[in-house]
Amino acid sequence: MKTASQKRACRSGAIPFLLGVVGAVAVALWLASNSNLRAADSAVAGASNYLTPVAVKFSPDGEKLYVVCEDDDSVLAVDARTQRVVGKAKVGHKPRGLAVSPDGKSLYVANEWSDTVSEVDAATLQVRRTLPTGWGPVGLATDRPGKTLYVANSIGNDISVLDLASGTELKRLASLRSPHDVELSRDGRRVYVANLLPHLVSPDESPISELVILDTQTRMVSERIWIPGVLELRHVAEAPTTQAGYLLVPFMRPKNLNPLIQVANGWILTHGMAIVRLAKTASAAGAHSEVTQVLLDDVDYYYAGAEGAAFTPDGRYALVTHADAATVSVIDTTLLGKRLKSMPAAELPNRLDSAREFVVRRVATQANPTDVEVSPDGRLAVVVNRLDDSLTVVSIPGFQARSRIDLGGPKEISTLRHGQQLFHDAKFCFQGQFACATCHPDDHIDGVAWNLETPQLGRDRVANRTLRGISETAPYKWNGHNPDLETQCGPRIAKFLFHSEGFNAKQLADLVSFIKSIPLPPNRHLAADGQLTPAQERGRAIFFQKACDTCHPPATHYTAKTSFDVGTASKYDTSGMFDVPQLDRIYEKPPYLHNGEAQSLEEIWTKYNATDKHGVTSDMSKEQLNDLVEFLKSL
Amino acid sequence: MRNGKRNRWLMIGIAGLLCPATGALGQTPVLYTKWENFTTANGMPDAKVFSVLVDGNRVWAGTENGLVLIENSKVVKVLTPADGLVNRVVTGIAIDKTTGDLWLSTFGGVSRYSGGTFQNFTSLTTGLANDIVYGIAVQDDYVWIATTAGISRMNLRTGEWMITSERTAPMHEPWSYGIAVGDGKVYFAVWGGGVLEYDIKGDYWKPYTDPDGEMELVLFKNQGLIHIIVSNISYNHDTKMFWASTYFGMSGYDGHNWYNYLSTDSGLASDFINATQTRGDDVWACTDKGLSYLNFKTNTWVTYRPNAKTGKGEIVITGPDKKVTTRETPTSLAHNYIINMAFQGNDIWVATAAGLSHGYSESHKEGKSNEQARTGR
Repeated sequence: MKTASQKRACRSGAIPFLLGVVGAVAVALWLASNSNLRAADSAVAGASNYLTPVAVKFSPDGEKLYVVCEDDDSVLAVDARTQRVVGKAKVGHKPRGLAVSPDGKSLYVANEWSDTVSEVDAATLQVRRTLPTGWGPVGLATDRPGKTLYVANSIGNDISVLDLASGTELKRLASLRSPHDVELSRDGRRVYVANLLPHLVSPDESPISELVILDTQTRMVSERIWIPGVLELRHVAEAPTTQAGYLLVPFMRPKNLNPLIQVANGWILTHGMAIVRLAKTASAAGAHSEVTQVLLDDVDYYYAGAEGAAFTPDGRYALVTHADAATVSVIDTTLLGKRLKSMPAAELPNRLDSAREFVVRRVATQANPTDVEVSPDGRLAVVVNRLDDSLTVVSIPGFQARSRIDLGGPKEISTLRHGQQLFHDAKFCFQGQFACATCHPDDHIDGVAWNLETPQLGRDRVANRTLRGISETAPYKWNGHNPDLETQCGPRIAKFLFHSEGFNAKQLADLVSFIKSIPLPPNRHLAADGQLTPAQERGRAIFFQKACDTCHPPATHYTAKTSFDVGTASKYDTSGMFDVPQLDRIYEKPPYLHNGEAQSLEEIWTKYNATDKHGVTSDMSKEQLNDLVEFLKSL
Repeated sequence: MRNGKRNRWLMIGIAGLLCPATGALGQTPVLYTKWENFTTANGMPDAKVFSVLVDGNRVWAGTENGLVLIENSKVVKVLTPADGLVNRVVTGIAIDKTTGDLWLSTFGGVSRYSGGTFQNFTSLTTGLANDIVYGIAVQDDYVWIATTAGISRMNLRTGEWMITSERTAPMHEPWSYGIAVGDGKVYFAVWGGGVLEYDIKGDYWKPYTDPDGEMELVLFKNQGLIHIIVSNISYNHDTKMFWASTYFGMSGYDGHNWYNYLSTDSGLASDFINATQTRGDDVWACTDKGLSYLNFKTNTWVTYRPNAKTGKGEIVITGPDKKVTTRETPTSLAHNYIINMAFQGNDIWVATAAGLSHGYSESHKEGKSNEQARTGR
């Protein structure tokens, strides 16, 4: 019996037989992996020795592949011909992004938790030097001469511009919210930066995401392109000039204002890509790039986690990975162009009948394909299988999964790893519409409020909550009705979110184990020695003077683990009682309050505490409030 | 007590002898003899222009009804709250030269204009002290903001906000008007509080106030800041001096000596001064009766103002010897109430109560005497 994924592959591909075979192989591999599930595991995901590859780049000559492995704190070198790992360099903590210098002699690896970039000699794989960056570096790219490095700082919400000769940071450019991918344009004149999270907007507004365009001559922002109604911009791929040089940006398109009463027909969320045609010239008078959106889902099946993107050198095809659907979509760009011209741009973002017009293959991969790179000669594509410690090699133009490159991770699938795979597997949702990770990118938040609780339009909207460090913060949900994660992730998810059978007992146990293992990232607002700044010290005194610790006791992650009515309910809320959120790394979690209407920590008190029920704060000066905020950011 | 008071020199004779800017007959000041005005008639969204900033070939103007971009002598963009600007009244403009971002002070908070979009900062959404903002400046990774409730500083890297007011610094009053970034110091114009100096390295504050404490009198001409009602401030990186505009005269300070000017003993058009700008030997005073220029080295004054009767421009030149001559120009400033100004190479841009004026400089007449400058021959 075929899986729903296989059925879709058969329907949409030009050669359904081959696709069916590929899909069957993928499922077989997955089942084989599951048969090795290990009963016991370490308590912390980081204690495992999985590699968890996240990004891949070819060397300029195409002879080597470099793979960044976030759980192994390493970058691997793979011989592209023998498909064997030939070297490894240890880098900083939690590396996420990779850039290769134009001459191929240097690798630059962004270490998210070390706030550094490792410069690695590509020949010897020795770390030459470690360059400081902003907070949470992930994506990065050099300019064409290889003199300047642009680094996306996901926590600092900015872009570090580094001078590679001196190793110093020249400047930081604002990127608004969780910048993720950085790519150099083909002509070297621009750098593209995709933001993972959308703008902070009112809970009753649709999200807007931002693509930042930098001018490599001035090293300044030349344009900020808004992509309405979408979030999770994880990659940018630029079509060759022969294909008009447009940008392809995968996204997730939520219908977060709709009640979650059904997931069919794209009612809750869809997955697709933005087609961005850049303005001819960018000036202070305002550039006007054109943005069109098109979906990669089918009418009756979805491809969750649109993430990696790449073009073939001739631009005839584009490939997009679906990280939560273990699939790569192959797009015929000529057919895509026809589709874009076939109807008004305003209609396209919600049409589920587009992909069948231009997606010519759905290539099955291993678990969690996050990145794809096409070889310089255009004869193959390499897909990073993040939760399989492997690469899938796809032939071009046949677009068949030709081989699997084992990067050397453990052969056994631990409980935690299995839970992590389930977290990223959308097949448990009706028609594969979404996985846990779809709304919790990087185990965190998607930055929007959802109408999860009732079937009534506009009522009881709740902001997404992070999964980082939540192991000891039960109960769960904003109404506190779920006493444990088993309840949260089991029947409730199946009934109200996935609209499916959900996870079985073993799967649920593993998933919960994984979620409990998700660690907190380092605190960038707290000094390395733990000493508070004067402002934080003053804020700490205010915190206790105002009895904030009554509901936010320090001993239990600053949550009393119960619900209170602090006057934050709106007329759209059924109840005013809400679970007290933990305050760990609170600065990483905007928007705030149960419905996400506070876009900053300040707004909790300046706008939404009119009755002083959320602490008596109306007597506080602005200086005192600033100090309190500084203390909260230190937690 | 503050309004309608006039300072008078008590020791004008002594002061005249002490003032080092007087006496020498030097170069003729550059004259601005051609004016091009931008008003509501040719694209400006409002007559009143509060602020102007030059960024290469681009000229940004903050008006009472939005932000304006002028390129190649044309209004090419008007940005209002409908475009995302936090408030229509744009009182100040600063540019972060490293990032190219514009920072805008308004009567409803602060906006950052970057890549064609706005990001806004208000007292409700951030740690900003107050939404009535008069001045803004960028110093390294900090944005300084002058508000009616004190001075705010935002750390662009950490997002931390600091507020400085009469509760935390030697400020008589918190109402702040203007900001100038100096060499190692940041200066603030404080209404009723004089000039406040922040030492960047030392992280401490130092006030400059009227030493005699008198609203009515100035006992000694150059004894200190001329008045504590300071409307704005500028810093001259060439001479290492700050220049404070007050509603009762103008003061310059070089770290050791004060240089004070009143309309009664100089070519200053009026004691009511909204702002100063300075570079090299040039000091400009934006007054309610025209735009005054001081060549600090030669003590030569030039005032530009429209002639209400003829509609033509009037140039009044006051030499170090106090001799006054006038010239007429076919075009003039848009209005005699000058709010601020900015330099663009040899040209100047002037924000007035009735439009933005672009002043084209006459070619510099090397070696011409002051007499020739006065007569125009």
